[in-house]
Amino acid sequence: MLEIVLNNLGLFLFVGLAVLGYFAGGLAERRHYRSIREREAELVHLPVVSSEDILPDRPVARSCLVTGSVVVSIDYFKRILASLRNLFGGRVGAYETLVDRARREAVLRMKEQARRRGACMVLNLRLETAVVGRSADKKRGLGSVEVVAYGTALVPPRG
Amino acid sequence: MKFTARLPDGSVNVPHTHPLVELAWLGAGLAVAAVAVFVVLGWAGEYAAARLPVAYEDWLGARVAGTFPGQESPGLAGRVERLVATSPPGSPLHAYRFRVVVVDRPDVNAVAVPGGTIAVFRGLLDQARSGNELDMVLAHELGHFAHRDHLRNLGRGLGPVVLGLVLFGRDSAVSELVANLCLTLEARYSREQEAAADRFAVDLLVAANGHAGGAVDLFRRLAAEAGPSLPYVLASHPHPADRIRQIEARIASRGYPVRPTEPLDRPAGRPPSE
Amino acid sequence: MILTNVSTVPGKTIVEHFGIVQGSTVRAKHVGRDIMAGFKNLVGGELKGYTELLQESREEAVRRMAEQARTLGANAVVNIRFATSSVAQGAAELFAYGTAVRVE
Repeated sequence: MLEIVLNNLGLFLFVGLAVLGYFAGGLAERRHYRSIREREAELVHLPVVSSEDILPDRPVARSCLVTGSVVVSIDYFKRILASLRNLFGGRVGAYETLVDRARREAVLRMKEQARRRGACMVLNLRLETAVVGRSADKKRGLGSVEVVAYGTALVPPRG
Repeated sequence: MKFTARLPDGSVNVPHTHPLVELAWLGAGLAVAAVAVFVVLGWAGEYAAARLPVAYEDWLGARVAGTFPGQESPGLAGRVERLVATSPPGSPLHAYRFRVVVVDRPDVNAVAVPGGTIAVFRGLLDQARSGNELDMVLAHELGHFAHRDHLRNLGRGLGPVVLGLVLFGRDSAVSELVANLCLTLEARYSREQEAAADRFAVDLLVAANGHAGGAVDLFRRLAAEAGPSLPYVLASHPHPADRIRQIEARIASRGYPVRPTEPLDRPAGRPPSE
Repeated sequence: MILTNVSTVPGKTIVEHFGIVQGSTVRAKHVGRDIMAGFKNLVGGELKGYTELLQESREEAVRRMAEQARTLGANAVVNIRFATSSVAQGAAELFAYGTAVRVE
């Protein structure tokens, strides 16, 4: 039995990592989504627009740049799933979830920064996605994405 | 402008199928594709192997020569030469320049390596009691060469290896595993191939020695001595009882005479030196 | 220095502009971070080390851009845009650019 395991160490490692990735990655993803939904509900009253023309009813005392960014990586199981999907084409669900999580998290971090500065609105939201880290190494395939969200926070006068 | 705070539906951008369901579909698709490629490549490999000129096989043999390190045995090579000399003029065996290598491994086995090398394991020599038995074993391997079985199986093994390389790349553990499993030179021949090689061997044995004595002796001994752990040759080949039955049927149908065998001077382990 | 990514500074008037200003920095991750990220890559989730690294680098790029604007005599940069690119394996360029203006 031990001999079989040692001879096919590569395969067992592969399967073991996939199982680990499935459970750990799935757990992390569910927790992250729960946190995203909670914070989105909390910050829903701070408007963010992707236009420059919608201005708040209140006067604006000052404005400043706010940013939020996050690097999220995909788990081993989903990476395998995505590489299998690469063979057949179609919707790569594994990465859809990854970029969705990253975008929402980045926007949330930007909104949190805006709220800390006392903003009443964020104008001209821009989102930028970049592939970083190991994924620059083509052979290993996509693994992690960075999303940065930025905009102009408008702060009303005090009082 | 009026602002109404509402949360959008966040679930539109994410997949709704469970990842395991997706894995199952993709896995099934992959399996179907793999089987198709396996069959096509295997068939193509076999087709090519059966028609590969011996000169090309020599080139291939030079690449894999180091796989079975051992001592060349002039005695066994002499037996092979005698067997080849008695085979019919049209036989592909005449195109080979055979070498016999004794490999220091306890398995009771012999392997036909591309390029005309027969690797005989020490364990088999330990079991052999007569020159006729050795002739039978060598003739059996010559049968694999004559039928190009060793190449067919290599060709069939290439299918999954190529598939693995295409799917997972050169550095992947999966490719390596597939290559290790499928590119082994100690190919597991099919029952048909083994039976055909046995028939070929009996015919050659009779052509060389004038009688079929010793054709089944080794298998008898192996079958009797095989304890709970089957020796390698029994595990990878058809059941010895079946082989004995088929060889004896061949002897009976052709009316080959069976005479006493010539015992070896040194039965244990040493290659006979005539 | 007022920084915005809209074409004006809300609540103020632009009286003078000085053209494009830009700031950029190329950063490489270090091996320790990479190894940690490698582990994290197995189970998925946020790569905090990378997030911080890129955030710091972006701030550095913005600082450089603001510095450039200051030397021009501007007191605000409007219409700021960010760009990220992988210039080499393991190194990323963080780039910020905008229009330097003086507001009152």
